[in-house]
Amino acid sequence: MMAGVGTLLAVVKADCPTCTLVRPVLDRLDVEIVSEDDDAGLERSWHLGIDTVPTLIRLDDGGAEVERIVGWSREQWEAFTHVSPLGDELPPHRPGCGSKTQDPSLVDELRARFSGSVLRSRRVDLAELEDEHEAMFERGWTDGLPVVPPTEARVLRMLEGTTRAPDEVVALAPPDLVECTVEKVAVNAVMAGCRPEHLPVVLAAVEAACTSEFNMHGLLATTWFSGPLLIVDGPIAERIGMNSGINAMGQGNRANATIGRALQLTIRNVGGGKPGVVDRATLGWPGKYTFCFAERTDTNPWDTLAASRGVDGDAVTLFAAGGIQGVVDQLSRDPESLTRSFAACLRAVAHPKLVIAFDAVLVVSPEHARIYRDAGWDRARLHAELAALLQVDGSDAVQGAGGIAEGLPAHLAGVTLPKFRDGGLLIAHAGGGAGLFSAIICGWASGDVGSSPVTVPIGT
Amino acid sequence: MHDIADLERRGVVGAFVATVEFVDGADAQARALGAEPAAVFVEHPIQDRTDDEMRAIAEGAFEEILRSVTA
Amino acid sequence: MTTTRTVLDPTSELVPAGIPKVERPATIDGLRVGLLDITKPRGNVFLDRLQQLLEERGARVERFAKPTFTKPAPADLRYEISTKCDVVIEALAD
Repeated sequence: MMAGVGTLLAVVKADCPTCTLVRPVLDRLDVEIVSEDDDAGLERSWHLGIDTVPTLIRLDDGGAEVERIVGWSREQWEAFTHVSPLGDELPPHRPGCGSKTQDPSLVDELRARFSGSVLRSRRVDLAELEDEHEAMFERGWTDGLPVVPPTEARVLRMLEGTTRAPDEVVALAPPDLVECTVEKVAVNAVMAGCRPEHLPVVLAAVEAACTSEFNMHGLLATTWFSGPLLIVDGPIAERIGMNSGINAMGQGNRANATIGRALQLTIRNVGGGKPGVVDRATLGWPGKYTFCFAERTDTNPWDTLAASRGVDGDAVTLFAAGGIQGVVDQLSRDPESLTRSFAACLRAVAHPKLVIAFDAVLVVSPEHARIYRDAGWDRARLHAELAALLQVDGSDAVQGAGGIAEGLPAHLAGVTLPKFRDGGLLIAHAGGGAGLFSAIICGWASGDVGSSPVTVPIGT
Repeated sequence: MHDIADLERRGVVGAFVATVEFVDGADAQARALGAEPAAVFVEHPIQDRTDDEMRAIAEGAFEEILRSVTA
Repeated sequence: MTTTRTVLDPTSELVPAGIPKVERPATIDGLRVGLLDITKPRGNVFLDRLQQLLEERGARVERFAKPTFTKPAPADLRYEISTKCDVVIEALAD
């Protein structure tokens, strides 16, 4: 070992003219050669994250990497090795070649060989006569639609989408209250059809869904319609290709579709929350396959939903959603009139005569939002105006009133009550630029026996 | 065995009866199918049995057959 | 080399992996039991006796037969059995 230089490693491969070129130089230096042409060298190169060969690496006394240089440059190498002159007979510089570990035809195999042991999930071998898609159905792993078979290669690729360790516990998944690891979420994310860059959102959603406030267990076991809705905020939404515009709550966008589905599959497969067993919904609704969209930012007159709930930047809000009620208002030109439209429709959430028990999300579309922006109504103003309009007279709402048996207990006849509990109405912004329609998303029972919306930051 | 695996997939409780000669074949088929249908094995051979002997074999296997299709 | 034939288990792994069998009833009394003859010689004698024993236990037995034991049963036959039977027993392979 040369004084002041530490230990030197050179990663090379035979099929690289530059590596061949510098061979005489390497022979003259006190350097350990790591050849990608043998298994041990290839594995080491993988773990060192080598992109280019030759790469020269300096390790300190403890074996930790200090610095590295790639390709051949006499000046660089002389400075790096403190040996001069070096490679007189060589051209002054020559670029390196791609490392074997970056060969696209090899990457998946190498990843599985060298990093596969980090995966702890049980391996399931499919029988030779089994169709790989039927096999997923037969084992009860799907939600009724086909899933992507979660091979080791796919799961390892998915795990590259997060900096978290595969064995890190994300949450205890209800109803079985099983430890749900990053790896298990990744397996289900693969099945859902996610890309690696979607994984951090799924991880945050699983975390949020499994909190006692959100009460995923209760949500599964209820006969009511609801399933989790994911509303995503922050720059991550655009970066990973989510849809916040035309048809934001509909089909067609991979990120929206698969992120919501990954949460649903994780709860069903890891937590054991399957329909007919724990899931007892009388009717349910298609949003239980997946329901996930991003808030639109360019036309949003307000802060993001997450920011209004105390979480800035990349965040996901979970809401127990039971269905969409479309609101038409093509004639209101001022905020007062539009807000009255919204209030009239919000009154019907769950039942016009029921109050406080159910939460809701009002999704204001861009054309409607413009009315509020032009009038300078901030979020707080809209909430206040709606609350004033949503005071319900007990005498209209008690059981028997209007000839309807359903309603509030009789003793509330003389009382005025708010339609929504404090914090029970959320306002979000999304949708295409054309269309004087907004949407009301009905929630589930609120508070302790039900579910409260939960907002969490999205990590990496 | 394929038939029973298929019928189970359609929700019909299924079992098949074979002679012990079939054990290895059953194993291989099960591995290929990825499913292991309920199987009851009776003594071999059967081709040269009298009717009375066949009936006795049926009686001998009956309880096990019942167990394979009930809880 | 990992193949597409190995997948990772997406569940909590609380139960053994594998394709679950159809849930078994408590008793065959009152159930429709199909007997599927693979049509090898002597099988019918076996199945006749089986039918008697099953009927003694309260089962309603219907007989079916494959056209040949060399191939899986035709789709129509499998469909018919699936609509007419709660339980099916296939015999007798040697």
